[in-house]
Amino acid sequence: MNAHRTVVPGDAAHLDVLTRFLQEFWSAAQLPSAHALYFELALEEVFMNIVMHGSYPDLIARVELSLLLADGGLTMTVEDDGPPFNPLSLPTPDLDAGLAERRIGGLGVYFVRRMMDAVSYDRVGAQNRLTMSKSLAG
Amino acid sequence: MTQPDCTHNKKNNRMFDIQLSPSGEVVMTGRLDATQCEAALQFLGRVDRPRVIDLGRLEYVASSGLRVFLLTQKRLKGAGTALRLINVRPQIHDIFRYAGFDQIIEISAAPG
Repeated sequence: MNAHRTVVPGDAAHLDVLTRFLQEFWSAAQLPSAHALYFELALEEVFMNIVMHGSYPDLIARVELSLLLADGGLTMTVEDDGPPFNPLSLPTPDLDAGLAERRIGGLGVYFVRRMMDAVSYDRVGAQNRLTMSKSLAG
Repeated sequence: MTQPDCTHNKKNNRMFDIQLSPSGEVVMTGRLDATQCEAALQFLGRVDRPRVIDLGRLEYVASSGLRVFLLTQKRLKGAGTALRLINVRPQIHDIFRYAGFDQIIEISAAPG
């Protein structure tokens, strides 16, 4: 069992910092590269949701990323101290809509659900906690 | 006239790059993440008709990047033409497919 965590402010400029943290963890733990894209993508979607919707007025959220390897899988937890918001409550976007009706909203959370084996949301005290896990086998 | 050109995020070892090839295709390289999308959109906005985009060296895209292709496709359709994405890598192709974008944009895989 091996846990790693880092904290960044919830502004877009820190996406790079989180992505690099994940990539460095990935190389250090020698994880299979075929799965890296899915975790990087899920991290971006969740983080950018917080950047865009997860702050109180005039107050940038504090975002904590934790990575935990266990039982042949990786669990990625993202916590923020923004207003209560459960991204899993967003409706699934219409994936068959014609070009004119297409919207990007909701697609990020749909990707996270699609690419992870399990996703759950909890409000813990003043924190939103999104927990995502996926097997690294195969 | 000089060709539009932009290279971003040099501190990241897997940076994003977008260029116009001599044959008129747009070529994207590296990681199109949320921090690169505005630059990519601006670049595409300066290209008169970005009909073909070569994604053979695109390593990463998320929903923020898909918005770039969606808005460009809407603009082109409005002008009576359409976008074609070529040489798309398997994992990137999957992301377009998961979003149902294969129904609204012509996408072809990397050969082999």
